[in-house]
Amino acid sequence: MLPDTPENLMQIIGIYKAYAVPMDFYWRDLLYIGERVFLQPLPMFKYLISQEYLDRHNTYSGERSPLRIWRGRGETHPELLEFMAKGETGRRLPRLLHHLWHDRVNMEFAEACMQAMFWHTDINPTFNEYLYSDAYKAAADVAIKAYFKGNWAMLGLYKLFPDMFLEQVRQMSYYANLGLFWEVMAPVFFEMSDIYDEGGFKGVPDAMDFLVNGIFAVAGRPIYHHVYVGDECFEIIPKSAGFTWLYEAALPYVEAVFYRTAPFRGTKSYDAQVHQVPDDQSDFHYGILYADVFPVGSAGIPPTLLMQDMLHFLPPYLQEYYLQHCRGEDDQLIQLVITFQRSFYNVTSAVIQSLRAALYYLLDDPNPEHLMANRRFFEAQMDRLTRPEARLQAIQTDSYR
Amino acid sequence: MSTIVDIAVSTPGFETLVAAVQAASLVETLQSEGPFTVFAPNDDAFAKLPPNTVNNLVQNPPQLGRILCYHVVSGRWDQQRLSEFSQVMSVEGSPIPIRSHSPLEIKNASVIAADIEASNGIIHVIDTVILMG
Repeated sequence: MLPDTPENLMQIIGIYKAYAVPMDFYWRDLLYIGERVFLQPLPMFKYLISQEYLDRHNTYSGERSPLRIWRGRGETHPELLEFMAKGETGRRLPRLLHHLWHDRVNMEFAEACMQAMFWHTDINPTFNEYLYSDAYKAAADVAIKAYFKGNWAMLGLYKLFPDMFLEQVRQMSYYANLGLFWEVMAPVFFEMSDIYDEGGFKGVPDAMDFLVNGIFAVAGRPIYHHVYVGDECFEIIPKSAGFTWLYEAALPYVEAVFYRTAPFRGTKSYDAQVHQVPDDQSDFHYGILYADVFPVGSAGIPPTLLMQDMLHFLPPYLQEYYLQHCRGEDDQLIQLVITFQRSFYNVTSAVIQSLRAALYYLLDDPNPEHLMANRRFFEAQMDRLTRPEARLQAIQTDSYR
Repeated sequence: MSTIVDIAVSTPGFETLVAAVQAASLVETLQSEGPFTVFAPNDDAFAKLPPNTVNNLVQNPPQLGRILCYHVVSGRWDQQRLSEFSQVMSVEGSPIPIRSHSPLEIKNASVIAADIEASNGIIHVIDTVILMG
């Protein structure tokens, strides 16, 4: 979907790198919250990740990885560590001060993505069915009682409102789900940036093919939710439940975040009575493929938070590029998120091609009926991107900045 | 008569499938009474998957087992019986579409050898690993 030009390739790879650095924090902190903070009634410090999770080695990248697929490092990215230490101010202050000053990685963006996955319940039926199973409820019950052991007030509340606690545990399972998903994506984007820096990608299709191979390579990664109370591990969703990265994390994430999400609060008003908000949740179209990126900075909307996160880690060639266009530094947040939109049309192309490869036929299949099946599949995908709000036409023009 | 597993083990060209079934601890199940219908991908079918896909799955037996269970249908479904339906339900729980009856095509895989009888079911050899979705 994204035209194959050197400028587009430079933009999308640059932004993948800028995205991968905060993502290296998102996945660690999502797992920290899902596994350790868990049902903390006042989770004020959930963004102050523990050293254990900051030091956690990536499962698929780095020398100590049990199943290394990507060549990058497994430890936290050095640019992230530097930013966590100094923030935008460039001064080494205690972490709590950076946090209170809001000079930190915006985990609220990651949580907004998690909530989108959690809220659109129809897109992950197998996983959601398990969240309401007896096995899940029993495992959650044991973990809740262990977590609040000796806390009679919380145990009393649990007795009175068990479903409220269970619903919170379900949300925690989505924290784990998204954390495990992004643990895979961060090294993918880092490696794409490294390959580009070495002159390895000849064009946009090469970048897309790399993503397609990456999606298949880790398709079978287990999606699970373990909770730790002290040294004891409670397997709320065990690996043996059989949930996979592709089916229970990646595809629901794409549907929830690329396509659907929800109207962003604080940008404009929607009148549901005149159908400005679709009746059917499956028809929501507020994701990055449709987003109007202009109202930046208003009311802390999730894309703004991500833009600010990516701004801290732009590669020099992209910083220079933004200074040359539009209003330079003054509107680089908007330029940056338009680049992000371009890059996610490329990721969407990779997802569509992966699904075609998994469920349909080769592009040069000699059987015309197979080619027609491919065509019907592509047309069904394109139907979602021909609605007026879609930015497909815009990202295909160079002047959209 | 041999079981489904015995046939797969003794037939050349199914080394990856046999290794996968062993890794996923499904040998005992596929040697049980059944009956089962197995759409068995040959080695060439597994080789079509991108690099690392199978390696990663073998490291994660429950997830591998789920993909393999998508290739198994409860009951003995020969080619003639399959031709009466547009889809069958896999043991994994997701439906398997039958996109063409002549020649027989199971989802995006072609059946290259049909109706191989076993004591506990029937095997159809396919040229592509089929995936849910």
